[in-house]
Amino acid sequence: MTVLNAKNKEKAGKAFFAAAAVICVIAVAAIFAFLIIKSVPAFGKLGVFEFIFGDNWSSDRLDTYDSPLSGTYGIFTMIFGTFTATIGALLIGGVFGYFTAVFLAFYCPAVPKRIFSSVINLLAGIPSVVYGFFGIVFLLPVLSKIAPNNGSGLLATSIILGIMILPTVVSLSKTSLEAVPRAYYEASVALGANHSETVFRVMTPAAKSGIIASLVLAVGRALGETMAVVMVAGNSPNYPDGLFSSFRVLTANIVMEMGYAGEVQEGALIATGVVLLFFVLLVNLIFGFFSKKAVTASVKKQEKHKITYFNKQIKRIKNCVYSFTHKIGAVKICKGMAIGSGIFSAVALLLIIGFIFVKGLPQIIQKPSIIYGKYEFASENITILPSIVTTLFAVAISLIISIPIGLMTAIFLNEYTKNNNIFIRIIRRGIDILAGVPSIVYGLFGMIAFVPIFGGSSSILAGSLTISIMLLPTIVRSCEESLKSVLKSQREGSFALGAGKLRTIFRIVLPSAMPGILSAIILSMGRVISESAPFLYTMGSVISAIPNSVMDSGASLAVALYRLSGEGWYINEAYATALVLIIIVLALNITAEMLAGKLSKKLKGDNA
Amino acid sequence: MAKTINEKKLTGQSISVKNANLWYGDFQAIKNISVEIPEKKVSAFIGPSGCGKSTFLKCFNRMNDLIPDCRVTGEFKIGETNIYQKIDVNALRRNVGMVFQKPNPFPMSVYDNIAYGPRTFGIHKRSALDQIVETSLKQAAMWNELKDRLNGSALGLSGGQQQRLCIARALAVKPGIILMDEPTSALDPISTGKIEELCEELTKTTTIVIVTHNMQQATRISDKTGFFLLGELVEFGDTDEIFTNPKDVRTERYITGRFG
Ligand SMILES: Nc1ncnc2c1ncn2[C@@H]1O[C@H](COP(=O)(O)OP(=O)(O)OP(=O)(O)O)[C@@H](O)[C@H]1O
Ligand SMILES: [Mg+2]
Repeated sequence: MTVLNAKNKEKAGKAFFAAAAVICVIAVAAIFAFLIIKSVPAFGKLGVFEFIFGDNWSSDRLDTYDSPLSGTYGIFTMIFGTFTATIGALLIGGVFGYFTAVFLAFYCPAVPKRIFSSVINLLAGIPSVVYGFFGIVFLLPVLSKIAPNNGSGLLATSIILGIMILPTVVSLSKTSLEAVPRAYYEASVALGANHSETVFRVMTPAAKSGIIASLVLAVGRALGETMAVVMVAGNSPNYPDGLFSSFRVLTANIVMEMGYAGEVQEGALIATGVVLLFFVLLVNLIFGFFSKKAVTASVKKQEKHKITYFNKQIKRIKNCVYSFTHKIGAVKICKGMAIGSGIFSAVALLLIIGFIFVKGLPQIIQKPSIIYGKYEFASENITILPSIVTTLFAVAISLIISIPIGLMTAIFLNEYTKNNNIFIRIIRRGIDILAGVPSIVYGLFGMIAFVPIFGGSSSILAGSLTISIMLLPTIVRSCEESLKSVLKSQREGSFALGAGKLRTIFRIVLPSAMPGILSAIILSMGRVISESAPFLYTMGSVISAIPNSVMDSGASLAVALYRLSGEGWYINEAYATALVLIIIVLALNITAEMLAGKLSKKLKGDNA
Repeated sequence: MAKTINEKKLTGQSISVKNANLWYGDFQAIKNISVEIPEKKVSAFIGPSGCGKSTFLKCFNRMNDLIPDCRVTGEFKIGETNIYQKIDVNALRRNVGMVFQKPNPFPMSVYDNIAYGPRTFGIHKRSALDQIVETSLKQAAMWNELKDRLNGSALGLSGGQQQRLCIARALAVKPGIILMDEPTSALDPISTGKIEELCEELTKTTTIVIVTHNMQQATRISDKTGFFLLGELVEFGDTDEIFTNPKDVRTERYITGRFG
């Protein structure tokens, strides 16, 4: 009898975990289905070709599908703008990021390297509205000295985006540079090449695929970035025809007009989202190609054709050494670039964080009521208390939804499946795809899928549901990573004692994976607090009273910062808000990093 | 009722294998092995690396179930029960314990490590668990070493202690058979000696099947020895016989160190 029960329990457990995975699949399918179905009428009415290649956008909110159009809807200027800004970002963030990675991997002493690396990781957690805000209050005034306008436009956008993609480029490139076998270095030095020659002629070429993959991923980030760009680009729907001309990117188009869009206009904005999604998926495909290549290349190097590959490599190194004499100048320049970039990145980081601290701290000290004051309608005294409450609501609800589903999906994928099944491959693929979808697209989805369910106006619940779906893929991935880090021998030990799968999962695997899971939870909190694009039209963007229920709408802290910085009257309050945001997010990130460190220590102890 | 029958069937201590074959995907790792392993004796498997010793051992507690694409045919009987029919695998593993090559204590206290098995099978009373922990540690000859650090982490123990703890952990569910896969290959000679003594001691109550690369070890502790080569069990018999008067020329070559 007990035997039967145990069996049923195991079955029920498995069904439960599988159900979570199915929910993930449904989420993926729903996003694509909703966006595509909702964009079909617009593509039909406007014409796919005219929509994509038309370069005139002047929308009319009164346009309907049943009557002739009075507006024009062509997004080519924005496609062009998106790519120009991305290239600009790549020129700045890609180049500096690459050289910074080289600096960290080969020139930086160990201790500053550790500090620098974790600071770069922290930078990745800073909300995009804070970058945008920094752009408005620091970068634009500086640029306006040489610009015909207030400094906004292509250059400002490229710089801000460049700084934003820096962490991605640095950390991924650094990882692949450090994965290059040490033997190459030794072989090259043994042939008489010096450190810098070895680094730039041998080590970096060997890490090529990984570096390209990091750049491609950064392109994906830049394409999908919304709020920071909206805040410094100017946003008029023109081609960017100079460093300071106002232009609009695809994501910005959605944010600028979604709030008041009419029938056809809304369709056109959703169609804009579909085009954006297409580009992002394309970039993801390319990324997949390069990162696979990077992985197979390093496997090849380290395991399979060790000897032949190594001999070839040595030959190449010899050739390189012969050509050193000709190109020694280039190597010197590269070395200078590496050290210079390292310093530049450090300065940029300190500047952003330091600037917000220096400007924001006095505001909070002088008027602490900014944080806890009572909200009064139309009052001079802005308080961010309602935003803090709204944000807490959003964090609580979205984590309650996404953590269990994400963790259970990860358990299903890692503990129950044997990898080769088609269904599983679809789930994994879907999750990978979701992870690359820009946050504004989630916002768009939430607006057409969740907002109507909850009475047609934005609410904390609709916003939280939207962000829950956005969190899912990263939660699944990082939970899976931590489950994978639990040694197989631990599971075997438990099974060999006659424990079933469920007991093994709950008593052995999960406790060991806990630090990693906790750090995934904390990082998710950070993301909810940082995000603004998905909330604007799902949760609300008006700073108002403390919400009474989850059906009220409200502006989260990040959205409030966007609002305050856009209006111009509340710049001091904006500084204070930005500081509060940074402090919360940094605290969360540091905690997560410490937990992750604890995990790896524990694993090391386990091996000893 | 059903429960008692099940338990009765899964308390056997002898192992009888007929025409066993095992494939990992297309690769055949076990080739038509038949063998009778007597109860309450130490049986050792020797043979060159990759010849299928671990694979064969894992057939006895169906740990191979965990490996995708692994297929087993033939008859495996523990006592009177064919273990590759519909049986409760967990009950099987309760009766057929296993000790691994690398010690794998769980990241919890010494006490909880040993209590893990009993708790799995529904024993939660503190006094009963205390009793089991003490008996198991005594059986593994480490009660005096560990009685004052039962609440300390098992990961803080030395490698040899960890391995003996794993043996105690396996003993805590009172198995009829214990499988050991190179249990001493990661240990120093003193710890190895302790575990060898332990094996002899345990045969009073338990059948032991041990895989080893160390032929002296096999001669020291085992009653029966089996020689594996390329997935086949070339020869299985009394240890003295195998080492002094092997029937098969391949066995002879292996034990005299001429190949492998
Ligand atoms: N999970 C697996 N999948 C595929 N092949 C496997 C797997 N495990 C083992 N093998 C193969 O089966 C054969 C037998 O392996 P096994 O581990 O049983 O050998 P062994 O005798 O225990 O060797 P060793 O003395 O090195 O431990 C080997 O050729 C091995 O490569
Ligand atoms: Mg083995």
